This record gives sequence, C-alpha cells and structure tokens, in this order.
Amino acid sequence: MDTNQYLDMFIDESKEHLQAINDNLLELEKNPKDIDIVKNVFRSAHTIKGMSATMGFEDIANLTHELENVLDQVRNEITEITPEIMDVIFQSVDLLEGMVYSIIEGSDGKANVAPLVEQLKAIASGQQPTAKETKQATSTDNKSDGNVDGSYGHLLDEYQKTVILQSQSTGHNALHISISLSKDCMLKAARVFMIFDALEGLGEVILADPAVEDLEDEKFDLSFELVFLTAESKDLIKGKLVNISEVAEVEIKNIDLTISSEDEDIKADVEPTVSESALDSSKQEQKQPTEKNQAAMKTKPISSKTIRVDIERLDVLMNLFSELVIDRGRLEQIARELGHSELVESVEHMSRISGDLQNLILNMRMVPIEQVFNRFPRMIRDLSKDLNKKVELDIKGADTELDRTVIDEIGDPLVHLLRNSLDHGLESPEERIKKGKPETGKIQLHAYHSGNHVFIEIIDDGNGLDRQKILNKAIERGLLTEEQGNQMSDQQVFMLLFQSGFSTAKVVTDVSGRGVGLDVVRSKIEALSGQVHIESKLGEYTKFQIELPLTLSIIQSMLIRISDEKYAIPLSSIIETAVFSKKDIYLVQGQQVIDFRGHIVPLVSLEKVFAIPRADEVEDDEVSVIVVKKGDKMAGLIVDDFIGQQEIVLKNLGTYLPNVFAISGATILGDGQVALIIDCNALIQ
Amino acid sequence: MSGKVLVVDDAAFMRVMIKDTLKKNGYEVVAEAANGQEAVKLYQEHQPDLVTMDITMPEMDGIEALKEIRKADGNAKVIMCSAMGQQGMVVQAIQAGAKDFIVKPFQADRVIEAISKVLK
Repeated sequence: MDTNQYLDMFIDESKEHLQAINDNLLELEKNPKDIDIVKNVFRSAHTIKGMSATMGFEDIANLTHELENVLDQVRNEITEITPEIMDVIFQSVDLLEGMVYSIIEGSDGKANVAPLVEQLKAIASGQQPTAKETKQATSTDNKSDGNVDGSYGHLLDEYQKTVILQSQSTGHNALHISISLSKDCMLKAARVFMIFDALEGLGEVILADPAVEDLEDEKFDLSFELVFLTAESKDLIKGKLVNISEVAEVEIKNIDLTISSEDEDIKADVEPTVSESALDSSKQEQKQPTEKNQAAMKTKPISSKTIRVDIERLDVLMNLFSELVIDRGRLEQIARELGHSELVESVEHMSRISGDLQNLILNMRMVPIEQVFNRFPRMIRDLSKDLNKKVELDIKGADTELDRTVIDEIGDPLVHLLRNSLDHGLESPEERIKKGKPETGKIQLHAYHSGNHVFIEIIDDGNGLDRQKILNKAIERGLLTEEQGNQMSDQQVFMLLFQSGFSTAKVVTDVSGRGVGLDVVRSKIEALSGQVHIESKLGEYTKFQIELPLTLSIIQSMLIRISDEKYAIPLSSIIETAVFSKKDIYLVQGQQVIDFRGHIVPLVSLEKVFAIPRADEVEDDEVSVIVVKKGDKMAGLIVDDFIGQQEIVLKNLGTYLPNVFAISGATILGDGQVALIIDCNALIQ
Repeated sequence: MSGKVLVVDDAAFMRVMIKDTLKKNGYEVVAEAANGQEAVKLYQEHQPDLVTMDITMPEMDGIEALKEIRKADGNAKVIMCSAMGQQGMVVQAIQAGAKDFIVKPFQADRVIEAISKVLK
C-alpha cells in the first residue's frame, strides 16, 4: 500500500498524541494514583502504534507496543507507577518524538529502540509476567508438537474413542479437521475463536491439538487439528471454515477408528473436553479490562468541528488576496480620479468587504501559541531534574493567537530563554533558602495581545542581573571601555547580553552557556520583525519581554520618494519624521550626524545606498529625515518626500534576488508601481 | 463488488486510509464516525451494508458501539479493526456479533478479503 499520501496526516496526528501523552504524563507524575490519566496515555500510545505500523515505521510501532504493555499493566493496577518507571516512559516518549521529527525531516524514522524496549519489557515482566510476554517466548517452541504423522488415532484416548464410536452409531460423523492459518495472521487466538465459534452450532469439538488453552494462548505455529463430531457434511463444514478470513487451508477427513486403533501412543498433555470451559473463562477475564476502558472513554473532551487545511493553501489564499488588495488600491485611485459617484460608492463597498475578508484570512492563519507553550512544562521538568533545582512554571495566555509563520519560528528562541532563566536565573534550592526565598523557584511564561503586537514574557524570580558583572565581562571582552560602560542605562547594559560571544555563565553547563547564546535569540526575533527587552532587579527577578508583530505578510508602512523611486519603510521601525535645516547637519569623523532630541543620530543617504539616479540636482535648504530605530540604536534616513502611510502587502523578491542589501521585499502600489521595502535593521550597524 | 460502508475510527488517518482502500475496490463509504456514539447514530441514519469499527475510541468504544448497533439491527454486519495485542477485545467483539476482524497495520487485500467475505 502506498502510504506517502498519508504521511502528513500521520505526522499531525502523531504529534498531537505525543503532546497529549506528555501532558498526561506530567499530570500523572503529580497524581500517580489516577488511573484515568493512564488510560488516556494508553489510548494515545495505542493510536500511534496503529498508525505507525500502517505506515511501516516499525521502530515506532515496536516501542509504542511495549509502552502500551506497561501502561496496560498500570491501568489494570498490576504494576504501580514509580519514578523509575516514569523516567523510562518519558525516555520512550522522547525517542518517539525524535523519530516522528526525523520523519518530518524526511528520514525513514528508524532509531535504536532496543534498549528502551528491553527496559519496558523488564518492567512489564519484572512486576508480573503477562500472557503476552510468555506467548512471545514460547510461540515458536510448539512447532513440532502440532504435527501428526498422518494418523490421528494416537491422539485419542479410550474415552474419546468410545464417544466417537457411539456417535457414529447415531448417524454422526467423526471428522479430523486440519486447519492452517495464513502466514501473516496476526491475532491467531482470535481467529481460533472465530473457528470454534463457527463450529459451535454444527457439532462438538471433542479434541484439539494443541490443546484449546494453548491455542488460546497462541502457543501454536500456524496449524492445528481438531476432532469434531457432527451430523453435517464435510463440505458444509469446510465451506464455513474457508470463509473465515486468514484461514489458509482446511483439510477434513473422516475418522475410521478401525485403522489405527492399535496405536496407543496417547499424548499426555491432551485434554479433550476443555473447549467450552476454556473459552468461557477467557470471556470472563476479558470483561474486566474493557469495562474500565469504557470509563476512560468518557473523559476525553469532545473535539470541536474543524477541518485541516494545508498551510500552503492558506499561503496561496493570502497571496491571491494580496493581489486583490493591490487591485483594490488601483480601483480606489481610478475612482477618485474619475469622480464617478456610483463607481466611488461601489469601490468603497468593495474596500469594506475586502477589509473584512482580510481580517478573516489573517485570522485563519492564526494559531494559539499553546502549540509552542505545550512542550515547555515537560522541558522544564527534565531540566530542573538535571540541574537539581525546584521550579514551578506558570503559563498564562496560551490561547493568544499568532500568525502561523511566527509560531513556527518562535519556539527555539523561547526554549533558549526559558533554559537561560532556569540555568542562570534561578538559584539552587539551598541558596534560595539562605536568602529567605521559597525553596521552589517560579518561572512565569505569559503571552498577551497589545495593539498590533503580541508580547511574550518570561519572568523568573531568581537572582536577577548584576549590572557590574555584565559590565566587567563586556570590558574584559573588549566590547566597550569602562567609561562607556558607566554612562549606559541599566537597560543598555542588560542588552549587552544579546551581543554575540557574550555569556555570563561562570561554568559552561550542559544546558546553556555554550557561546551560541542570546545573540541568536535576538537575531531570530528581529528576523521576525520583533524585539526583545530585558528588565531586572538584582536579587529579585529578571524579565525578558519579546514583542512580535501579529502578522508578517501585510504591514503598515510609510511610503517615501527619492528622485523618481518609491520606497516603503515599515512603521514598526519608524520613530519620527522630521525636517532639518542643512546647517543643523554636523560632520563627525566624516559621518553626517544630526542632533535629534539630545541624541547624536547618524544620517544615511538612501540615494547613495541604493545608487538612485537623479536627473537634475535640486538645491534645498532643508532635508527630510525619517528617524528609524533598531533596539536602542537610531539612524536618520534622508528622503525627498514623505508620501504617506499605507497598508502594503509584503512580497519577497523571489529566488533570483535572494540577498539584496537593506531590502526585505517589494510591494505593488495602487497605481501599479513597484515599491521596494527597506529593511532598516540592515541599515543600522 | 459494491456496498455501502460506514467507517469508524478515532484517527482521521486511519479513516482516510480505509476509505481510500474501499473506494479503490468499488465500495462506497457513506459516512465516517470518530467515536462509538457517532457510529451508532450514523448507522441508524445511513443503514450501511457494512461497518468497519475501531475498538479503542473515545466516548464509546467499538465493542459498546457494536453492541448498540446489533441491538437495533440484528443483521448488522460489523468488521472490527484491532491492533496487535487486542486479542481479548476481538474475541469479545466476535461474541457480541462481529463478523470478522482486521488487524492494524492494514493490508489492502486483507481488508478487501474480509469485507467481500462478510458481504457475500
């Protein structure tokens, strides 16, 4: 079966279930006695097993299978959860996640699951060996026992022979039935049950080889034999049996006792009359677990009515819509120029509707940040164990929504910051007690909307940032002089943490502080048009605040003109527009600067940066400047004209123009012209 | 071969898989249910010729749903979809009147074999 087309669904659902397992396991760690949670975990593991086996990811299927066995024992209260067992389960889930993610990256999802499989098996058998385990050990041992050397008389004891002879005298046939199951038959015992079920109404099984219990425990290879008393014909019985799935071969012979009655080699282990009772007892055994199962079914919340849409389709929709926005702009312009009242009216109406449509499409692309936050409780748990710290993670605003593209990118920076808080921020329990703080540290992770931005805050109640330490380090590294350092504000000092090659960790731990520090976080967030701020009080807390735009594809911008060309500058990086007199421009070390509200701001001539041709030189006493910011740094961009504020649709320049300096993309304006979008971050260095 | 089939499984993945297999072989999937309750309801609505029923599901498991369906329609034909290690459940399902079972991972020919035998 070609499974590629199902891969996406497999990945999505696997991820969901792994997340559910993680959540439930954390919950279980708090309430180890809560069997309902175990049932939920079991169900998720079970689903993953089924899907992965279908997809041919055998390692995943094997591991989940063993996991399931252990969970099954726990939920049936055979095995009690201990921290050691929890750890093995957590490791298994990690490995599963690893495999699923490797599949996403295109690998075959294979991994070395053997050690964990062994551990899980040990747990399952160490406490109490289950039927499954013994079955696996013994299923191959019985092969030779099942074969009969052509005759069947040796199987029968005197009593059975008497029964056969008597029934033959009342018109019944004694049949010897050999049944082989197909090689890939998986639930052999259930097949056997179906066979017995089919025969039940037709007569009586007086002998089975191997014995019925062994058949039920799957202690046979593929074939087994029955002695069956019936009034029906051979053909009818054969027809019934052949119609059962996975029955490969049925051979039925009449038993004539006169042939081999001398053969008295009776097998000791054959028990002739067990068929009914064995089946009955197995029925009863199986009732219990299923009833428990049903109780568990009730706890899962009803899923909401949604459909899954490929994110790429939404991207296409967005793209098509942005084309419409461009046309809308043109129409508006044309309508204004013509002044035709009905045209103006209908264009206005269209604008309103397309505005609503735009909101709707943007909303569709919004996903709750929960997706990202979900994995943090687990991560914090593991980390705090590794670091021997006690911590409580408080998550708020997990339902805050962000554009899908932002969500995909924000995970890693957040992981980094959280690790940082836990590793460097929080003190060890002993230290905390000494300081009179509660032993358990607290890390808050909050997300909320504000205006056109989403804020994510990570606050720890640890030791806070030590201004002097940071400065010393920066001076040591030659990043600045002592004098410069003393003039900086706290915020500026803290921002030094985000400079490349800066790490305050005294010891490089396993967790963080490996040099690829916070500067990576900053560049990633800035790549998303976001910003990071730090706030801290020594001995009390540290707060990292990330500010992100709601969406990346439609942005508010300021249109400007230089010579005959139009450019767009994202409003998010503009501080102010201003006009300066030429005589207010100073030269400092060959660099033009202006005094902007007490700050010395370097001027950048966009005309020179972008080598814009100009027909005739205009001499003017004044220059128009847009002051833009990047973190704490500022720059003034010299332009000819401010055209106005406009909502623009960001389009990238495509593969032919991958890295144009200081240009982040292009947009099409209402009059059909193309305007390049200026990346201010690149201009401020 | 033809016939109307109701596919029941809590994993959308599995439903799509079975559905495609069935469609390729000329069966019509008239409805899909994600849990036992839905299955019972949809069975009454659509009166399919056959049901493929997952065992482990939220809300109401496959065996319970099978029993409900059989209670309402004694001739209902239900094939259980089980995973390895659910022997006991399968036996229980057959006692409750399931006509056959298929084991995950599904093989298309096995699915079709089971269905054609049951519908014969």
